Amino acid sequence: MLEITNLTVCYGKAMIINDISLHVDEGELVSLVGPNGAGKSTTLRAATGLVAWEKSIHRGGDGDITLQGTVEFMGKRIEKTPAHEIAKMGLIHCPERRRPFKEMSVLENLKAGAYLLTEKNEIDENLRQVYQLFPRLKERSHQISGTLSGGEQQMLAVGRAMMSSPKLLCIDEPSTGLAPIMRTEVFRKIQEIRELGITVLLVEQEVSTVFTMADRNYVLSSGKIIAEGKGEELLKDEVLRKTYLGM
Amino acid sequence: MLIDILITSLINGSTYALLAIGFSLIFGVARIVNIAHTAFYMVAAYCIYFTTYRLGFNPLSAMITGIVFVSILGLIVYKIFIAPIREHEQAVLIGTIALAIALQEIMMLIFTGDYLSVPALIKGYATILGVKVFYQQLITFASVLVVLGLMRLFLMHTKLGLAIRATAQDREVANLMGMNESRVAMMAVVISVGLAGATGAIIVPLTTVEPFMWSHPLIMMMAVVVLGGMGSIKGSFYAAFILGFAEAMVVFLIPSGAFLKGAVALSIMILVLVVRPTGLFGVQFEEEG
Repeated sequence: MLEITNLTVCYGKAMIINDISLHVDEGELVSLVGPNGAGKSTTLRAATGLVAWEKSIHRGGDGDITLQGTVEFMGKRIEKTPAHEIAKMGLIHCPERRRPFKEMSVLENLKAGAYLLTEKNEIDENLRQVYQLFPRLKERSHQISGTLSGGEQQMLAVGRAMMSSPKLLCIDEPSTGLAPIMRTEVFRKIQEIRELGITVLLVEQEVSTVFTMADRNYVLSSGKIIAEGKGEELLKDEVLRKTYLGM
Repeated sequence: MLIDILITSLINGSTYALLAIGFSLIFGVARIVNIAHTAFYMVAAYCIYFTTYRLGFNPLSAMITGIVFVSILGLIVYKIFIAPIREHEQAVLIGTIALAIALQEIMMLIFTGDYLSVPALIKGYATILGVKVFYQQLITFASVLVVLGLMRLFLMHTKLGLAIRATAQDREVANLMGMNESRVAMMAVVISVGLAGATGAIIVPLTTVEPFMWSHPLIMMMAVVVLGGMGSIKGSFYAAFILGFAEAMVVFLIPSGAFLKGAVALSIMILVLVVRPTGLFGVQFEEEG
């Protein structure tokens, strides 16, 4: 479904991603884990067109951004496609730090998520689904989203991404900055989303939980993929566990 | 005296509100500080003068032509001049100052620097609480309220309005939701310049048309935006009336206060920047990325 081949991203002289290849197949839940600054978010941003967008708005400035390699989604090359068109293809990116539209209400945020849909039935159906998944959002539908708690904002961010009927949902660090009980809740919801038949690419630092739920995992460190496989297999590797996963 | 002040401040405040909201819109969505905003307002005024006197249009169709002409002019200027340098804030700032002066000089060449005027839509005046109020002033005030109401409906209840608000709050995430950020920015420019044109059209019978007529509203508008908070449409609305009131107070209560009009705006601007730089309803901008 998503196929990243020999991707390299540099910001000026700093090579953030160094020749990585990874793929996500339909129906899978794949995780991308690794320490801070390993290049996880940049990988997602490159796949969903944000690196290309940044490049386009920073042209002429110093610290030029370069992107090499290919990204394919549903058989189409997308490494040069603008972000809004990638979203239209069904590759949806739920960004790091949640980033709800803070001055809008919960409901308006969700409607913004459904921006690409034209069928009113589909929007209503998605809204019903999101409210079912996150009953809390329904209770707070008219609250201004900037006043929600961190956990609620995370649910909103995921709900907003769900509103556009994604084929592949990329979620960037949903558990960061949340209380342990909220983390468990968020991971349970991601599990539920996956059971709805949506393919998920999950970027996380919380390795122990992610390894139990993902079908396959990629471990990223300093811009390179250093290991790949099922959670239990990766955990058997003593060096990997101690050095990179801190477990 | 008090009624005089109130009426003057409501009318001036409402036009400042209209200007400042257009300015805030373009700043919020496209991060463009458009110094030429009120220059478009001047062009609209000239356009109405031209169509009324040289082409013999009736006042209403002259107004509509003015607004449409200015919106199209804004779009063309944006496409060839602003869009390529949009990500370089300083360049945009210098560029729009240059644009304002260029428009001023072009009007000067075509119409000379003479003071021109346009007739009121309805002549005569009403007496409200013992104060003479021209019908045109009432029409101006009412039109501003209608335009503001329409703007609110547009922003809150249409898809493009939603995209504009989303892009203003976080353009990267708006992009991820499938909103074409550069197209939304372009639409915001057209609407914003259209609003400047509409302000010009509404106010033109109450003012003299001359090539420098954009500078005083520019200062007032900047003061409104600073007081209300950069990028906040709600803030611009309240701040416009506060400033309109302050201005009217100075003009009416201080002997030869009319000369101090500009000073009011500038001192409020400085005061706000010193005491509360985010303004009344200012948003703290989060760094993107």
